[in-house]
Amino acid sequence: MSWKDEVDQIAERRRLAVLQGGEAAIAKHHDKGKLTVRERIDAVLDPDTFDEIGRGAGEAEVDENGNIVEFSPANFVLGFGKIDGRRVVVGGEDFTLKGGSPTEAGLRKSVYAEDLAVKYRLPLVRLHEGAGGSVGKSKHASLPSAVFNAPRFRSVAQAMATAPVASAALGAVAGLPAARLVSSHFSVMSNSTAQIMIAGPAVVERAMGEKLTKDELGGAGVHTKNGTVDNAAADEPEAMEQIRAFLSYLPSNVYELAPVSLCNDPVDRREERLLEIIPKERRRAYDMRRIIKSVMDEGSVFEMGRGYGKSQIMCLARMNGQPVGVWGNDPKVLAGAMTADGANKARRFMELCEVFHLPIICFVDEPGFMIGSQSEREATIRHGANAALTSALLNVPWASVMVRKSFGVAQVAHYGPDAYVLAWPSAETGPLPVEGGVAVAFHREIAAAEDPDAKRRELEEMLAARQSPFPRAEALAVHELIDPRETRPMLARWIDRVQPLLPSLLGPASFAIRP
Amino acid sequence: MAEDIHCETAGTIWKLWVKEGDTVTDGQELFIMEVMKMEVPYEAPCDGVVKRLSIAEGDVVKEDDLAMVIG
Repeated sequence: MSWKDEVDQIAERRRLAVLQGGEAAIAKHHDKGKLTVRERIDAVLDPDTFDEIGRGAGEAEVDENGNIVEFSPANFVLGFGKIDGRRVVVGGEDFTLKGGSPTEAGLRKSVYAEDLAVKYRLPLVRLHEGAGGSVGKSKHASLPSAVFNAPRFRSVAQAMATAPVASAALGAVAGLPAARLVSSHFSVMSNSTAQIMIAGPAVVERAMGEKLTKDELGGAGVHTKNGTVDNAAADEPEAMEQIRAFLSYLPSNVYELAPVSLCNDPVDRREERLLEIIPKERRRAYDMRRIIKSVMDEGSVFEMGRGYGKSQIMCLARMNGQPVGVWGNDPKVLAGAMTADGANKARRFMELCEVFHLPIICFVDEPGFMIGSQSEREATIRHGANAALTSALLNVPWASVMVRKSFGVAQVAHYGPDAYVLAWPSAETGPLPVEGGVAVAFHREIAAAEDPDAKRRELEEMLAARQSPFPRAEALAVHELIDPRETRPMLARWIDRVQPLLPSLLGPASFAIRP
Repeated sequence: MAEDIHCETAGTIWKLWVKEGDTVTDGQELFIMEVMKMEVPYEAPCDGVVKRLSIAEGDVVKEDDLAMVIG
């Protein structure tokens, strides 16, 4: 007697497990321009590296002889794999089975994903398409979960504190999967196929009387502008590319340093166009992204959250191969002023860098907090103070380049804990920009003048001269006043200097990171 | 590869320097918007030709409006 019958049955179950929802369900899924979860996993991983966990989980029906007649696999596929040769945990709902709404085995596997990431200290990649629980279509009534079970989101929080978590919305994502989608360090949604909703159109119409399509309710047009997800991708393959790119800047966990890559871009490269990139005319904006791209390693800039908090630009990038976080103001949007959503975006980005020990480089052109009634209604001062305090308590090395304005309380957030500060000749700094400050401080003098406008301009020019960076350099209020073309060489030397500090930072952050 | 240029914010098209069919080079100024008393220039993100132009001087534009396509 051997175990051949049982082994045959294992093989049969394995064969059935990968059939997912069956040919018809898969064809319908493909017709909507979507990949199945197994195709998604193959697309995000290096070829042939998927190492599945719990393939046999599901519901089996057997005949009186014990032969399997039907097998419905768990509708969450989970396992290990590699991205750029580094091991990760990967998982996603199988929409071809019950529309991704968790089966018992599916739910068990899905919540195990975070446990695996924490236990093995590995990055977690979640590829979401599915809804939360549904009201009773299950064949068997199951026991409700025990009152003493660990909170479901504890492991989600622990995963975020341990290893990079990157997630994608690739179809409709609602309920529990939506909450897990955003409980990540980086999230991306496919423009063509994804929506993210707390509850879908039918539930919303019944409860609220709002009649909306899935895209109107939770498409990329909504969620890339409110910060629910960081980025949009044109389609599923681009979403996978973005996840792979994001992870390339990060260590596998908080106990390791980020991978330094070989840099072919000379560290002493002086970019000529930086000499004239800041217009002498103070009302004229310029392209901050061009500055960032000119200074960082060529082709290394990966922007996150471009659609919201748009006055603040956040990127991962490399300096001489060392991954860093880059934060710049965008003078094209509200003159780069700190808004409530910009402050939230900055706070979240700083925490990402702190948790994974990435040095931060800041290109500062901060005119101050956004002013006006909308800004007050949005509680900008509270969100802005949050960013300023977050910055002050970080431990990662920080360098700031004052490219133009640096004013008010909002500027404080741009200088981190103990920044290495470089100033361009175009730098101006003070409690507030002269244009606003003069009108307030000299209002009597201006009103009394024969030509108030001329008086105001005269005062503005006089005070603007006082905001020049030369006295700051003389007072060692900045480390160096530099030729803008020296920015890359100077920052490359700084990044080399801080290398010995990085290992001492390793380990969990002193705070628990939140989504 | 075609690059779409969208307006980052609402504003007014103050100066437009190119027309459809013009050859442009990476970094060349294409148009200037006026936004809250600031002049906001937009540059070509790459070398190419202005394939499609959707703005004219004096236009009031909204955030995310397509300004032009460089291809």
